[in-house]
Amino acid sequence: MLLKMFVLSSSALILWLAPLVGLDKRIGWHKSIQGLSLGAAIACAVSAGNIARRLAEENEIETIKTRAITADVVDEIAVSAYVSQQQRQQEAEAILNPVEHLERALALTYDEGERLEPIAQNQLAEPEQNGSENGESERTERIHQLQAKGWGKAKIILEIWGVSKGGSPKYKAAEAEYKRLVEGDVV
Amino acid sequence: MRAVYLANYFVAGCIASSLLGWVASLHPTSFRAIAFLAAAAFVVWGLCWLLDFSVSGWLKISVSNLQALLLATLAAAIIGGGIFLCS
Repeated sequence: MLLKMFVLSSSALILWLAPLVGLDKRIGWHKSIQGLSLGAAIACAVSAGNIARRLAEENEIETIKTRAITADVVDEIAVSAYVSQQQRQQEAEAILNPVEHLERALALTYDEGERLEPIAQNQLAEPEQNGSENGESERTERIHQLQAKGWGKAKIILEIWGVSKGGSPKYKAAEAEYKRLVEGDVV
Repeated sequence: MRAVYLANYFVAGCIASSLLGWVASLHPTSFRAIAFLAAAAFVVWGLCWLLDFSVSGWLKISVSNLQALLLATLAAAIIGGGIFLCS
């Protein structure tokens, strides 16, 4: 399309100028050729102009499309950056909050004096106890789930403690704990 | 690309004025007809300059665009006629 336009433009110029410059106006057939070539030159120039206008409109549409796509991409990046920042902030708050509470508790304890020291110790010890109890209860629950699925002891130990069957002390310890949990649950 | 299509239409205007010159050179009667046409066109051109706000509203284009169009028309007529006369 572009090539056609340039060919038409250049042929319009040639058809306009060449007969006027090269041919003699006083000779009859030269004059006729001049008239014909001028008519053809107008046709070529108008056709080239129409093609160029169509191309210009298409270019404008492409530019608008590109601008819209760029704006979309920028918007998407901004949104994802905002979301990830929010997530990071929430995670950081979630991580920092227990420490803050602990620090506040300790500070209050120190402020109130030695009388309240055991309370603070209890406050510190309780989460550990609760943590271990929670861990045990979770393991027990998991054992039940796996037993319900029909898994055997060795497979359950491998799944929960990550120790494969054998005579290793780790496996023995895991087996002992398994037994304790299962029997404790039964009792 | 916009400049290319405007240039093409401008060249078409130049060639059209050369063609009018060629038609005028064919016979004295056609010369008189073209001269009348050129005079009428010049009057219309001048009126367009004088009534630019009304004409731009009628053509639904801006005044600056109308003035550019009028100047381009004049330039095309001069260039086309001049090339025909000088050749």
